[in-house]
Amino acid sequence: MSVLEISDIHKSFGALDVIKGVSLVFKPGTVTALVGDNGAGKTSLLKLIAGIYPLDRGDIFLEERDLSMAEAGSRRSLGIEMVYQDLALARNQDVITNLYLGRERVSLGGFLRRGEMRERGQQLLKDMGINLPALNRPVGAFSGGQQQAIAIARAVMFNPKVLLLDEPTAALAAREVESTLALINKQRDAGRVVILVSHRLNDVMAVSDRIVVLKHGQVLTDDPTGNVSLSQVVERIVS
Amino acid sequence: MITASSQKLGLSKGRFRRAALSFARNCAFLLILCVFFSISSRYFLTFSNIENILTSSSVLALLALGSVFVIASGGIDLSVAAVMALSGVVTAAVYRDNPELSSWLALLICASVGTLCGVVSGILLALTRAPSFIISLGMLSVTRALAYIVANGAPIYDLPQNVTEWGQGTVLGVPGPVAIMLLALIGSYLILHHTRLGTHILVLGDNSFAAEAMGIRIHNLRTKIFAISGALSGVAGFVFMTRTNAGDPTAGQNYELMAITAVILGGANLFGGKATIIGTVMGVLCLGVLQNGLNLLAVSSYYQVLFVGVVLISAAMLERFEDMA
Repeated sequence: MSVLEISDIHKSFGALDVIKGVSLVFKPGTVTALVGDNGAGKTSLLKLIAGIYPLDRGDIFLEERDLSMAEAGSRRSLGIEMVYQDLALARNQDVITNLYLGRERVSLGGFLRRGEMRERGQQLLKDMGINLPALNRPVGAFSGGQQQAIAIARAVMFNPKVLLLDEPTAALAAREVESTLALINKQRDAGRVVILVSHRLNDVMAVSDRIVVLKHGQVLTDDPTGNVSLSQVVERIVS
Repeated sequence: MITASSQKLGLSKGRFRRAALSFARNCAFLLILCVFFSISSRYFLTFSNIENILTSSSVLALLALGSVFVIASGGIDLSVAAVMALSGVVTAAVYRDNPELSSWLALLICASVGTLCGVVSGILLALTRAPSFIISLGMLSVTRALAYIVANGAPIYDLPQNVTEWGQGTVLGVPGPVAIMLLALIGSYLILHHTRLGTHILVLGDNSFAAEAMGIRIHNLRTKIFAISGALSGVAGFVFMTRTNAGDPTAGQNYELMAITAVILGGANLFGGKATIIGTVMGVLCLGVLQNGLNLLAVSSYYQVLFVGVVLISAAMLERFEDMA
């Protein structure tokens, strides 16, 4: 049974066709890697699924519900979360503010229920094995890996069905990459659809169940990770 | 200790530290000014003069409280003083023809005119996607011109006494303008530091893409921010009108820049994401004391403007050094 289905989606920016008729089906508990050369349409595809860009044509279904016209906020509340390459964190604000961004717990009059938010945020970070020295520091004061972990924690905080990750390991040191890949594995184990865009093919081979190669906005190949080698993937990307 | 205090104030530890530094800097500056002017003028440290400083600062404080929301969101509102003038003039025109109306209605009209101007600015921002600097500059011209048109070029005098009592009387021994300013201060503090709206405003200034990606409707949010700024400008117009017993179309010229100066003195980042209400009020008090002290020393108004400029540049340089430290 599929959780997410995209059907014949198209997107152009002016005269440039960035996505040309992509159709894919995603099952729960799988990590799908989207790979391809620069300009292949990987990030654009993620942003179309997240609702950051509106579709020109085609359909997106989440558990058979048509989300094609839904905007980013609605898709988020229905269970599609994205971790952006630049993380989309408010760097002057603290960890809890960032975790609850757009979903703050409030009482009558819109007053923040800080205690409740802090308690739940702390518990979530603990459950995810994320150790941060202080939750009331601005997130800009944390390391790249810690910021990445905060962005992933924010994305999974409200139990999404689909998790979109754009270059989650691009700017991380080796040890931070390991912990980020472990976090991705945990999301698969939790039964989520994980769609990963990465240029780091070693990471892709380590964590994904399926590799989709995109070229000029179209699906070139779509294989289980076990059926292809790293060199074959590279060949397809540069072919 | 710092953590507990920062939590009570609704600020993160890093922001709290910077805000505390900015607060301490303003306190030190205020203290130096007070000591200097106390030595220089025997009239400075008197009850009536302190009351005068607070009362005369109330209009600027209300404009600065409106501006702090806009600046925290990464925008700028240059129309606050013109909106203040328009609110006062419209209300004075209404009371010229209908002096029997309740004085509460005057406050409501001022706040409504201001809010309407803010909503128009917000809608124009959403429609044009132009920078707030441009839209608010346009609104400055439009609202100032409307104030002149409504007033027919001259101040509208002789408001009913029940209206002017708001600006010239007292509430529980506190001058009316100061009482209004304190209420606005408490409301602004609660909104910016303890509500979802305040959080979204700071996040919008911090990273507008993050705000949008997390489902915050940033165009609606900007309209709300400008509506708050407009409402407080309208209330400032009410205070100005009731203090001077006139709806004056020339009211508050250059106050928009003074309001921005006060917000920046209070430690706000002009590019958004960082601002505090307490800091802004401290900034207003610094400017109020400086102007009052210079007046007492009979310093020419040209030099007063010069001093304000020097203070702003010094504050910006100190802020820069603090960020680098």
